[in-house]
Amino acid sequence: MGRYGASPSLHGTLWQPLGAVEGSVAIGGVLPSMPLNIAVLVKASLDPNMIRTGSDGGVDAAATPLAISEYDKNAVEAAVQLKEKHGGRVVAVSALTWGPSARKRKELEQVIREALAMGVDEAHIIIDDALIPGDPLLTARAVTALLQKLGGFDLIITGEASMDMISGQIGGRVAALMGLPFISYARSLEVDAGAGVVRAVRDLEESLQTVKAKMPAVVSVTGEANKPRIPTLLQIRRAMRKPVKTYSLSDLEVDSVAKPRLVEMKLIQVKRKNVIIEAETLEQAAEKLIEYLEQEGVLPK
Amino acid sequence: MYGVVRVLVYTAGPAQLRGLAGLVAALGASEAFALTPGREDEVAQHAYGVFNRVYRVDAERLTPGQLAELLEGLYAEHQPDLVVGPAVKDGVDAGSRLAARQSLPMFTEAVSVELFDGGLRVRRQVLGGRAMAVLESGLPALVTVKPQLWEEKAPSETGAEISTVKPPAALVEEESWEPKKREAVDLESAEVVVGVGRGFRRKEDLAMAEELARLLGGVVGASRPIVADYGWLSEDRWIGISGKKIRPKLYIAIGISGTPQHMAATMDSKVIVAINKDKNAPIFQYADYGVVADLYKFLPVLIEKLKEKLGK
Repeated sequence: MGRYGASPSLHGTLWQPLGAVEGSVAIGGVLPSMPLNIAVLVKASLDPNMIRTGSDGGVDAAATPLAISEYDKNAVEAAVQLKEKHGGRVVAVSALTWGPSARKRKELEQVIREALAMGVDEAHIIIDDALIPGDPLLTARAVTALLQKLGGFDLIITGEASMDMISGQIGGRVAALMGLPFISYARSLEVDAGAGVVRAVRDLEESLQTVKAKMPAVVSVTGEANKPRIPTLLQIRRAMRKPVKTYSLSDLEVDSVAKPRLVEMKLIQVKRKNVIIEAETLEQAAEKLIEYLEQEGVLPK
Repeated sequence: MYGVVRVLVYTAGPAQLRGLAGLVAALGASEAFALTPGREDEVAQHAYGVFNRVYRVDAERLTPGQLAELLEGLYAEHQPDLVVGPAVKDGVDAGSRLAARQSLPMFTEAVSVELFDGGLRVRRQVLGGRAMAVLESGLPALVTVKPQLWEEKAPSETGAEISTVKPPAALVEEESWEPKKREAVDLESAEVVVGVGRGFRRKEDLAMAEELARLLGGVVGASRPIVADYGWLSEDRWIGISGKKIRPKLYIAIGISGTPQHMAATMDSKVIVAINKDKNAPIFQYADYGVVADLYKFLPVLIEKLKEKLGK
């Protein structure tokens, strides 16, 4: 499907913009020779700093607000920077993975508006109760089907992992399903549009690895990749007019599958002694602290 | 047990086989196969007896794409119930590709893995390490784990049969590779860690933390700003959910406010001490013992008293 593997020179002819869009890809009155079509995958994640819990310590997902996933912001920033440099368009793709969908879809829309305000041109979102709660297998299938339906992307960029479930699978799964090269954990990336190549530095545990791949390709970025911009009020207002289109799984001809069961999700409570050492002098405080550490058996023998 | 359980293990390097063999043994797998890149002697050293066969890829390291491609071949050949990989970046990357191609559920960085009749139950940290999720799925499935967690269960006997395979061509081409700057500290296995944060005003002042760590037989780690914003210490010193997770007997956090991202990476510490001049700093909620004091005044005193105590 789509034009994967096709020559980048086909660019622009197969791209079907969704309705009228503002702005122009022209820079200095001249169309850039090799504008980029970029898709950025954005998740509306449960906000780890705003967790609501029930009486049993279980995370109340319905009551916990959604926010744009931290590293997906870096993905949006990377995509917008590439657009600014090379020309082209950025499309955001997202799927709602937390319910109840009637309430959460509004929060997802807020997340999408944020990406649009940062410079994304249009958004496509998947809302279907079969995706809730999210599992990477089905989410990746749905996102892949949508990317293929839209077609024509040179680059698909996402964050290294979402801030709620931290699975880090979507980029790899989408790349594998589409048969595209995948560059994970990029801390910097650049495009050589003429050669149709993306080059990135992968940030691994023990090493930095510079790699290149032919476009189209999928890239996941780390938090080190850039500093996401903060949109201005004007950009936020203009984002309200950018097009957002919604799809169900049946629109994408994706069948639901049996998903793993999220049996429970509870806050980790670590019991600490919370002793604040009170003393007249610093010497006494130090002595008391040393005494406690000795009792705990954590001083060298 | 649960009838025949066949496990396929993969690694990014032979040293990871130890912990993964430990998990295979703990699960009571009836058959197990392993795929690893590495030199012949290194692989032989880790060819644990729980494996029916170890497939050694004749390469120092592989791209995740190469690893995934080789795994796919072995998956087709052995039809495993469970695929187990290392929860390192290349391991998660390769796993996600295999999981997509074979339509497998995948669980990244499980901290426990149990089999029950026809199914799998895992626990994993979510929400920035602040919550624990329990998930169940049918088999086959894929999990990645930190190999260190199962190293104690690793069988001692080796001698599994080794077959050598050739690496396939890579779609993503490596142009260069350089080891990260590191200072030969191993935060993750240190028994004592002294953490430094923004309370330190100058790089030279970290010498106080170094001295404290030396007295206690520990190492110095840091919160994110010290590493990422100031660049005073190398990245392998970063304690955080995206940096290193520590599990020492004693963690002393000095001039660190206590963000959730930092604290989630320290929660396995046995004893946590906080030294901070702001009595309202969140760190005190996470500490066993807290000293509200200016570190510049308190640390020299603490170091002197410890020297007396330890006779140094």
